[in-house]
Amino acid sequence: MNSQPILGNEAIAIGIIENGCRVVTAYPGTPSSEILAGVMKHKKRLKRDVYTEWSINEKVAFEIALAASWTGLRAVVTMKQVGLNVASDPLFSAAYTGVKGGFVVISADDPGPHSSQTEQDSRLMALVAKIPVFDPSTPAEAREVIKDAFALSERYKIPVILRPTTRLCHAVQSLSIDGAHEPDDGIPSVKFHRDPPRWTATPKFRNLLHVELNKKLKDIADEFSDSPLNYVVNASSNGTMGIIASGVAFQTAQQALQELGARVPILKIGTPFPLPQKLVNSFCAQFETLIVLEEPDVCIEIQIQDRSHVKGRLDGSVPGAGELTPEVIFLVLSKALSEAGYQVNQPPEDPELAALIKGLPLPVKPPRLCPGCSHRSAFFAMKRTFGPNAIYPGDIGCYTLGTNLRAVDTFVDMGASITMANGFFQANRLVKDERPIVATIGDSTFLHSGVAPLINAVHTGARFVLLILDNHTTAMTGFQPTAANDYLADRMEAPRKVSIPDLVRACGVGYVNVADPYDQEDFIRTLKEAQAHAQSPDGGVAVLIAERPCTLYDQSPILEHPVPVVITEECDGCRYCTEAFECPALVLRPDKSRVDIDYSICVDCGQCIDACHKGFIIPKILEISRA
Amino acid sequence: MDIKLIITGNGGQGIVFLTRLFAQTAVTLGHSVMVSETHGMSQRGGSVISHLKINGDEAPLILSGTADFMIALEANEAVRNLALLRRAGMVFVNADDGLRSEVGHHLDRLNIKVMRLPASRLALELGSASITNIIMAGFAAAHPAFDIPIKKMTATVEKISKNNAELNLKALETGYQAGRKIFSA
Repeated sequence: MNSQPILGNEAIAIGIIENGCRVVTAYPGTPSSEILAGVMKHKKRLKRDVYTEWSINEKVAFEIALAASWTGLRAVVTMKQVGLNVASDPLFSAAYTGVKGGFVVISADDPGPHSSQTEQDSRLMALVAKIPVFDPSTPAEAREVIKDAFALSERYKIPVILRPTTRLCHAVQSLSIDGAHEPDDGIPSVKFHRDPPRWTATPKFRNLLHVELNKKLKDIADEFSDSPLNYVVNASSNGTMGIIASGVAFQTAQQALQELGARVPILKIGTPFPLPQKLVNSFCAQFETLIVLEEPDVCIEIQIQDRSHVKGRLDGSVPGAGELTPEVIFLVLSKALSEAGYQVNQPPEDPELAALIKGLPLPVKPPRLCPGCSHRSAFFAMKRTFGPNAIYPGDIGCYTLGTNLRAVDTFVDMGASITMANGFFQANRLVKDERPIVATIGDSTFLHSGVAPLINAVHTGARFVLLILDNHTTAMTGFQPTAANDYLADRMEAPRKVSIPDLVRACGVGYVNVADPYDQEDFIRTLKEAQAHAQSPDGGVAVLIAERPCTLYDQSPILEHPVPVVITEECDGCRYCTEAFECPALVLRPDKSRVDIDYSICVDCGQCIDACHKGFIIPKILEISRA
Repeated sequence: MDIKLIITGNGGQGIVFLTRLFAQTAVTLGHSVMVSETHGMSQRGGSVISHLKINGDEAPLILSGTADFMIALEANEAVRNLALLRRAGMVFVNADDGLRSEVGHHLDRLNIKVMRLPASRLALELGSASITNIIMAGFAAAHPAFDIPIKKMTATVEKISKNNAELNLKALETGYQAGRKIFSA
């Protein structure tokens, strides 16, 4: 067996490909983004004909995969948990209509959260939508369970959700990937057939479909009670306590028991909804106390019929927010076991050292925009133009980090910069607040869900400046292409690309301009022009597109015109540049006497020359001539 | 062999590459691995940490107080994560000076050894700050307690390096030789 270290998301991708899936769509979002990349890699390795696409948003991705399933092909759509909110409209409807080819929705949750605006639980979304969920606990399991997910989906003609979490997606496990688990049967001979009571169900039929869905769920719950995905470990131990766990928490609980020196039976739940009630009830009946460990919220716990002996999030035994880290699970189990009369080991961590470190003033380095990032230049120009007295609605992407520069005052969800600007304009009119409003949104986020808000703003007469930060890629999640790129997933050439300026004009915007934020003078002039339009009697929304490729993605513009800089002797450590410009390559000396450039990360963009209003940051070439 | 290893530093220092280097080498040697990596927002310069278990359980994270080794590319990140180490654990840190004096007494009490190498400086001497991570890999591999043979690490570096294999191999060797000198003293 030739093993390789495989990322959790790639393990999922392997499972998708080797189980004959033909259509995979996605919108990137941490922690799910590497799944589609893995699909593209392994469809090549196994020479399988699979259509893959980075869709414009999660709802679109969902529906494209759904259509493939209604044709009879196996299809998968992947997204992060907040993406499932965007796709929730078709999700709820598809639960009723059902599917034909196996249809697996992969929604990756982010307990913590590490890279998300909420800790919402996709399993609860599944519960509300009435869709079965698979909850694997390791990359190896995630790969294997795809087979069961497709099979269940086809047997009951129902969409299913596969729910990994960040720690699984970004775990790396040694797996054998020689050949493929499943043979390739080629493209099945299927086609879409009309079925009005199902595919075009009116409310009358929807009622029947709902009855049918309830029946499916009841049968699936029974089936899950006998499924090998739900099983008991440490069964032979006698004691008064049992644990019910799912996902990564199952693995972490086993690790904690090892360290605690206690042997306690764990019911591993691989299918948290619909809960295998028969199995759970018979497990619960054996114990005086039950602990439920699941992330990020309560899904198993609320479905347990008799909760009188259950300790979990609902009674406060398990913290109601945050990740179930090894330390949290150790403490929860340690307390519960001690109360139940078990002898347990102390936590292995040295409490004195841990307390000391907690109290040390260690520098906290928050995430920052990269050296040379064009967003920083755009934000800097924006702040120089509008100052601290404007309202800056922001959006979701790398540029959310503009909050460090106080250039982002709000962020809610994808596309909300434009709607919040629209809303602030209307509210400010009522309260007679005349501050300028300047919204920022990235290219991918604008295409994802900014277009409809922009049309709304134009149509209702809102007045604000919208800055579209176009860096030619979806940078935060790993450089996925957008509809404005001339290539598709897999780097294939796109038949057409969308022009963002043309699109903005077509939305009815009266002022549209494109400028390079690296040219501060011109950019500021254009911003002022945009603001003048927003304030003029027949003006309205003004859109300025800040165009400059992401420095991480495409270094060529800087390599062609490098501007190495130096900081002169006169630097007095006033900190204007480190705070207002905040480039990681500008480093204040520990004694605060002056700022130095960290040349190991500086990319020679030369943008910080404008960030010293005293003129102490100069091009290297001038230093030589001065000497 | 059963190793629990923490690898830490700041975003952009190549923590993920370093983690994959160890994971790949362990797998080549026929061991099972379970790793937890940091992706996403925190890669934009914030603290980054990887957990690596060789022949351990399947939980991605290491329980605090049980790690055998830590490789830290930055001294403050080493201090921040010290409590993850078990008694008699070992830190390999990229630093010119020792760790903050406040922790010294506890390190003695817990018998945690700190092995220091100015890897950033060595990297710049070799021509690129970006190979600091690989120098530290060679440094750790030189320690007799660190049970991953340098030969296999060399083979992995050759395999997973893209177009800079030569420089990476030089970095690995530099760290290894520096380690041998320090550890034999």
